[in-house]
Amino acid sequence: MTAAVAVGVLVAGGVYLVLCPGLVRVTFGFVLLGHAVNILLVTSGGLTRRAAPLAGSGDPAQMADPLPQAFVLTAIVITFGITVYLLALAGAEHHGEPTGPEEPSS
Amino acid sequence: MIVFVALVSMSALAVAAPVLARRLGRNAGYVIAAGFVAVAALLSTEWPDVLAGRPPGVSWPWLPALGVSFTLRLDGLASLFCLLVLVVGALIMAYCPRYLTPDGRHGEIYFLLTAFGGAMFGLVLAGDLVLLLVFWETTSILSFFLIASAGGKGERPATRALLVTGAGGLALLLAVVLIAATVGSTDIETVLAARLRVLASPVAPAIGGLLILAAFTKSAQVPFHFWLPGAMVAITPVSAYLHAATMVKAGIYLLTRFSTLFAGRTGWALVLIGTGLVTALLGAVLALREHDLKALLAYSTVSQLGLLVAAIGVGTTVALAAAILHTFAHALFKATLFMLVGIIDREAGSRDIRRLSGLMRVMPVTATLTGLAGLSLAGVAPLIGFVSKESLFQGFAGARVFPGSGVVTGALAVAASALTFSYGVRIFYGAFAGPTLQRLYEPSWAFLAPAAVAAVAGTVLGPAVTVLNPLVRRATLDVEPWERPPHFSLWHGFSAELLMSGVTIGIGLVLFLARAPVDRALQRLPSPVGEKVFDSIHQALIRLGNVVGRPDRRDSVAAFLARPVAGVVLLGAAGLVLLGAPPDLRVADGPADRVVLALLTASVIGVAAARSALAAVALLGAVGLVVTVWFLLAGGPDVALTLLLVEILTAMIAAFVLRDLPRRFPRTTRRVRLAAGVAAALAGLAAATGTAALTGRGEPSAAGEFFLRAAEPRTGGRNVVNTILVDFRGLDTLGETSVLAAAALGLLLLPGVARARAGLGPGPVLGPARRLFVPVIGVLSAYLFLRGHNEPGGGFAAALVGGIAIAFGALVGHRSRVGPPRSRAMPFLSAGLLLCSAVGLFAMALGGPFLTPLTATFTVPPFGAVGLSSSLLFDLGVYLLVFGLLVTAVGRLGGEMSVASEVSAR
Repeated sequence: MTAAVAVGVLVAGGVYLVLCPGLVRVTFGFVLLGHAVNILLVTSGGLTRRAAPLAGSGDPAQMADPLPQAFVLTAIVITFGITVYLLALAGAEHHGEPTGPEEPSS
Repeated sequence: MIVFVALVSMSALAVAAPVLARRLGRNAGYVIAAGFVAVAALLSTEWPDVLAGRPPGVSWPWLPALGVSFTLRLDGLASLFCLLVLVVGALIMAYCPRYLTPDGRHGEIYFLLTAFGGAMFGLVLAGDLVLLLVFWETTSILSFFLIASAGGKGERPATRALLVTGAGGLALLLAVVLIAATVGSTDIETVLAARLRVLASPVAPAIGGLLILAAFTKSAQVPFHFWLPGAMVAITPVSAYLHAATMVKAGIYLLTRFSTLFAGRTGWALVLIGTGLVTALLGAVLALREHDLKALLAYSTVSQLGLLVAAIGVGTTVALAAAILHTFAHALFKATLFMLVGIIDREAGSRDIRRLSGLMRVMPVTATLTGLAGLSLAGVAPLIGFVSKESLFQGFAGARVFPGSGVVTGALAVAASALTFSYGVRIFYGAFAGPTLQRLYEPSWAFLAPAAVAAVAGTVLGPAVTVLNPLVRRATLDVEPWERPPHFSLWHGFSAELLMSGVTIGIGLVLFLARAPVDRALQRLPSPVGEKVFDSIHQALIRLGNVVGRPDRRDSVAAFLARPVAGVVLLGAAGLVLLGAPPDLRVADGPADRVVLALLTASVIGVAAARSALAAVALLGAVGLVVTVWFLLAGGPDVALTLLLVEILTAMIAAFVLRDLPRRFPRTTRRVRLAAGVAAALAGLAAATGTAALTGRGEPSAAGEFFLRAAEPRTGGRNVVNTILVDFRGLDTLGETSVLAAAALGLLLLPGVARARAGLGPGPVLGPARRLFVPVIGVLSAYLFLRGHNEPGGGFAAALVGGIAIAFGALVGHRSRVGPPRSRAMPFLSAGLLLCSAVGLFAMALGGPFLTPLTATFTVPPFGAVGLSSSLLFDLGVYLLVFGLLVTAVGRLGGEMSVASEVSAR
């Protein structure tokens, strides 16, 4: 239950920031949304078994599902890559570089 | 196998064409023509088998999962079209050298023409519908390039032709999908054999309609006919080859091929006959009113294609055989006429039919050839055009679609043919009669020879039409194996069709003799509007696209994102309503979870409310730390470790960026805050209920169980998450790290910002701290990397630790070894990608699937047995990629400070 609420809180915060003006805030909102999705993924593996999935370190029946963790691990790094890119965009935008969409031609 | 060799030879010719053109200039055409003839000779060795009804061919699996095969089959119908493609192709190629300018680069034209020949060849040989579709589209695309090669004036016509034929290609694709779904196979022979099954299926009308649509666009039937006259901006060889003899016959080929399924069905017959005859009449009228010979021939082609379509619609074996024969005859005389018009245009500087007068006295050979081809077009005995037209009449007279249909279709065909006769005779008259208007000279024999061969063939094949009988009979049998195809001969007694020919010639003569008043009447007719209508529809579509896309084309991110957010919320709400069942909330919560949730809520509110940029960064880091704790509690130490490192790096890089940005975020109005707040609350509610509803599972997933059980025995690694990343799902990881490489490239490509700022040198605390920390961090990174397979760690986490060292260096103002980002980061990125791919390819070279882990055990004296897995190398590749991204980011965003501080220090 707390996981669901946590996802809700993170999504709410993320959506709020994304809808605010300024690319830095949008980026921070994006980070929060990333957290929300990662928590959702791990939650989908079930939260009743919470031992680390390290073979030979205990009872396999108590170990958490490793597959969502693998997803989330790469997702975190990709989110980071995109965060860095968005931050760089925000910096470039501040310096007047044209990063926004082009004007519609018609 | 010979069939396959022939197709490969055609491709080889296309590849060789530009090389030949560079060596031989325009004379390359002769070599290519010889190549076409050689391919035809090669195919003729299969002649006996083809005529005996044992079509030679090859078949290899292509997409076995979909049952699609690479099948080529040379039956009678395919042979006849191959003959057209190769023979007419050879003539056109031999015509090109004298037509093209002596200097100039002709590699492109030769390549496109030869490639087109190959594609058309493949189209008629294809024994599988998917293969046929591929070649079909290839001919459309090559036609586009050939029309567009006319330069600026070819731009619109080329676009129109591509869009019209491309739409037909989509219709064909749909038809193929429907057929595959109905019959369960895309093999053409199998499909045609399943006639009853196709006809009984409810989608049979859709299949027939889509095939007709595809054929009509390609073969320029009303209302799609307008692209063909427009295509005449292309040079004459293109018009003669693609837009008279071969490509526009692709639709005829398709309809003939599928007559096996649909011949005799009322809907099929009515649509084909109706559209075909309307096209035939309209095309003939438009041809008659044209004075530009090339445009006249284009409309004439439209008209003749209409007759062919109508004959195929009649569907009797007589009509089909006539259509097949007339396809052949038309290609012959129309290609001849195009070539001759090209010659006359070159010599006389005009293509106006009114200036084509008295040619006999100044250019006797050209005039004779033109006259012969013109008479063949007009359908005058004893030329081949006469025989094929007579047989078409015979076919039309035998139509049995509705009572009296024979009379109606016969009469309309006679009307169209009378118009054809009239303009055919005009061409003949211009060649032989009338006053001589210009002092002209015969072109060189080399220029005339290809047209002469075609004109003479068309003349001789009239009386000698029996030579064609075996092939046409075989082709007709391939379409309707249950029928007895007719024999063609020049003279077959006093018959109805002879009477029809007589009427045709009679009306045609009247139209010709009264050509002055006819001309005046025709000029008063409204001009064709097809192109204008098409252009206005095209423009309207583009405007519609603009209207649809307008809300998304603005600078405000909020406006851009608000609607997708609202859409997701609506979708979530709808999903919950449909799902119905109340969420099962048995998920075990510990007391720690509630504390974590409270901290999380507080810090998220903080980030959202913060107006100071630095405070927001700090609070964002706090959120990240709380989430890290959450992952630890959920049993994911690897995830927690990676997230912790990412949070540190995010904060560092945000700090780099924020140095140059205003300290406070832009002010928001109350209205914006309120709207964003409502949207955020709704989205959060939807996300929370969705999560609760969909994640109540208690039992472990089957996949998770498998990995827990199999990880150690299969990979030797005890850290299950890491084995999934590098051993089990290596391809996923490769794809994901490629995204990182793309992000790094994006950073490198962002416009650089040159600025000087007063930087702080390494201070008294941070300076020595850097010297102490960086080596320690390096060792830690290596340690995390090496233990990753068994304990929390691995390439991702280790590279992030390494990146912290780099970022730390930049943060304290040290001119680190990062240097210019472009040169420093690229080796890491490319080495990472190459290493990951090489590990995968090496496994393939050893016969396993891509990225299969390989393990070897060595005995190293002090340590005993040491296992070495290729997944370690793969993980190293991941390390390099992530590290490359970090080097890029730090170099790009943090690097300027160090450079700037050096500047200020001087």
